[in-house]
Amino acid sequence: MKLTIDQKLDIREVLQDLDQYRPRRRGWHWRTRLAEHRLGPFVYRDAASELANSVPLPSAHAFADIDPQCACVITTEIASGRFEDDLRRMRMAAWHGADHIMVIRTTGQSHIDGLIEGTPEGIGGIPVTRKQLRATRKALDAIEDEVGRPINFHSYVSGLAGPEMAVLFAEEGVNGAHQDPQYNVLYRDVNIHRSFVDAAEAKRVLSDAGLLQLDGAHNANATAKQAWKVTPELFVQHAINTAFSRAVGMPAGQIALSTVPPTAPPAPKLRLDLPYAVALRELFDGYRFRAQQNTRYIEADTREATVTHVLDTLLSRLTSADVQSTITPDEGRNIPWHYNNIAGVETARQTFMGLDGLDELIELKRDGPLGMQARELKERAVLFLEEILENGGYYAAVNAGQFVDSGYFPERKGDGIVRAPNAGDGAETVVARSAGYGAPVCSHFGNNIFARTSDKPCADYGGCTLCDPGKIRYIDELDPHDNVDARLAVPLAERDAGLLRPEVEQHGDGIVCVTLFVPAQPHAAEAAALAMAKRMGLDSPEVISRHVMHPAEGSVFEVKGVLDVAIPSADLSIAAREEPLSDAEIEAWVRPRHIGLVAATVGEDEHSVGLREILDIKHGGIERYGFQCHYLGTSVELERLLDVAVQTGSQAILISTIITHGDVHMRNMRGLSKLVKERGLRERLVLIAGGTQVNHELASECGLDAGFGRGSTGRDVASVIVRTLQSKQAMNDG
Amino acid sequence: MTTVERKDDFNVRRRHLQKLSDKQLHVRFWALVDALVQPLVVEARTHTTPSIERSVLLRMGFSSVEAKALVERAQELELLGRGVGRLVLELAKAKRITVPDAGALLLDGHHWDELTP
Repeated sequence: MKLTIDQKLDIREVLQDLDQYRPRRRGWHWRTRLAEHRLGPFVYRDAASELANSVPLPSAHAFADIDPQCACVITTEIASGRFEDDLRRMRMAAWHGADHIMVIRTTGQSHIDGLIEGTPEGIGGIPVTRKQLRATRKALDAIEDEVGRPINFHSYVSGLAGPEMAVLFAEEGVNGAHQDPQYNVLYRDVNIHRSFVDAAEAKRVLSDAGLLQLDGAHNANATAKQAWKVTPELFVQHAINTAFSRAVGMPAGQIALSTVPPTAPPAPKLRLDLPYAVALRELFDGYRFRAQQNTRYIEADTREATVTHVLDTLLSRLTSADVQSTITPDEGRNIPWHYNNIAGVETARQTFMGLDGLDELIELKRDGPLGMQARELKERAVLFLEEILENGGYYAAVNAGQFVDSGYFPERKGDGIVRAPNAGDGAETVVARSAGYGAPVCSHFGNNIFARTSDKPCADYGGCTLCDPGKIRYIDELDPHDNVDARLAVPLAERDAGLLRPEVEQHGDGIVCVTLFVPAQPHAAEAAALAMAKRMGLDSPEVISRHVMHPAEGSVFEVKGVLDVAIPSADLSIAAREEPLSDAEIEAWVRPRHIGLVAATVGEDEHSVGLREILDIKHGGIERYGFQCHYLGTSVELERLLDVAVQTGSQAILISTIITHGDVHMRNMRGLSKLVKERGLRERLVLIAGGTQVNHELASECGLDAGFGRGSTGRDVASVIVRTLQSKQAMNDG
Repeated sequence: MTTVERKDDFNVRRRHLQKLSDKQLHVRFWALVDALVQPLVVEARTHTTPSIERSVLLRMGFSSVEAKALVERAQELELLGRGVGRLVLELAKAKRITVPDAGALLLDGHHWDELTP
């Protein structure tokens, strides 16, 4: 499957022949950090290779459109509920620099004792199934070819079906997974024995398949009443999963700690979060770090979320991060919208590129409060471990409510999570292996008669699926109604008919968001905002963000609603638009040729602002390319422009014509064309007009080379002058 | 059951840790963790679960639907401790048939009584 840049991802092609699909690559992929990377006008210290195709950060236009990529992997989490929509979101995210796509599972999959098959719709995520994994991995193969960088695909190996899920991931080329038995116990109430026995098998499978494993300790941040006080326990949770993984045989390089800076402003974030981040990296030297951004405090304000996420990313740079996970800035108010996945990724990228080479500039003051606090955190963690062992071990400690207590250990509030060893989902399902226990397969953990010989355990029957993928059994669908084909019927018919609807989450969902400031007290203002949204024609309007500017003067709201409008793309008149030349191209042509131009506002017209913005170097106007500009002012006669053009040997005339009473702007443009022709100068001069009511068609109709209306820039004008002069030159040469 | 509340007595409790170097503290941390995890690893080494057994059958080439049915039946007959994968393989060897064929016979309800308990 191959993608074409100007074509949408073809979901029909993705779904075709999935029974035959095999992943072409296994295991995790890290970016390669380049020592001294020269790009455009800069040399980067912490960059990886650029992408073959990408969308640069917005300000790149000022820096030769460079698109540097940071050295660490960047994650985006995707959770629309429909994998067929997620694929398009993944493609967009990859173009913006994400190379770790984490797919959130549907609510409740942890409690299903077995695998799900087919493509049923999920809630807050997707049901992870073999078909869904294959379709996603197949699409990601094509997407990584398009951007020119391997993309890691990731989901969750937790709940009651951990070992099966791990086998599924290994078979289907998934590259990373969350696996932490403590997560099951504390947050999913899966039986503690079941959770750890299953985890050993799952970890062994993940380990052999080369997946990167993330733990689940960061969830305590989100659960504890005061997240910064649970930090001593976080060391312990990380350590339990790490040591358990090592005991099962997982190499250190595949074990990643999932860590979140626990606070957000107005808390003194760096003072609290940095000692914790430093202590963690010291205690877990040799392991990988997946730095997650904070989600705990985000509510409706995406700007606030973004600032916190920038600070989180700064903490990553001040310490270390092998993987920087991003959080969509709208996560606090709705299931993330796809364009906000891109916003989250760009926040991390923008911050990392801005902090490039930070190590050369500053170092942490280890001898001071930072070191003292880091040490204290470690000691509190050791005390936590001592108490677990004094309590009779891990199971007893969990049963005694030692975990996720909101006290700053050894302080206790008595509100920890309590899980009895014989309770929870899957209780009483753990069975002792008899002396003759056997499992004739690879990647199996623990006592096994088939592991005693020098042959592979699966040699007796010609190999297991991990050795012979041809034996994998693919199930397409089990539910004739709840599946991807049923869901795609309407969207694909609309797409084939060329109908366009707005969307934020799923294909053509119609959701739009409007921003309104209403000058009234908060309650009245909010009611008015909703009424206004209804008057705009939005169905089911809902305020998703409210921010008081002043209790009496007013509030600003973001209101979402459904715009039930399908626009036939065939009916749209789309003016052919030529991309302007780049700044560098324009300057390279103009500067050595000493191109002169004459400019003025013509007729009886005193408007000067628009033209000055096109001309002045201060406003990014065309002077900066090396044009020799002769600006004659306002209310200038057309004849005078021509006189000066002749005197100065200029090659272009720019007129600004703002006033439109009696079509005076048309008369000015026609007048210029006529006069230039009368004087026999038409071949020599490029004629351009600008003004609020001017456009290219109108100017051409009046005999000029080009016309510019609102929103035009110096670059647009300069580009047209250069191209017109180039074509005149080519005609003369020809 | 929840534990009682306790005030932050860190300064009292930490006394035995105070003199340790950072490196010694790290060593103590990991020694405690290893001691804590060790019985969990032993339990995992010597026990199995329905999910582990289904994951074995998946690796032997059965579908998730088949694996679920086979393990459920084995659970009813208290055969999980032998390893369901082993039972299927032994049946295949005894009958001189393939593993998938042995699984199909079991799924049809045959030969369960011949499996070693």
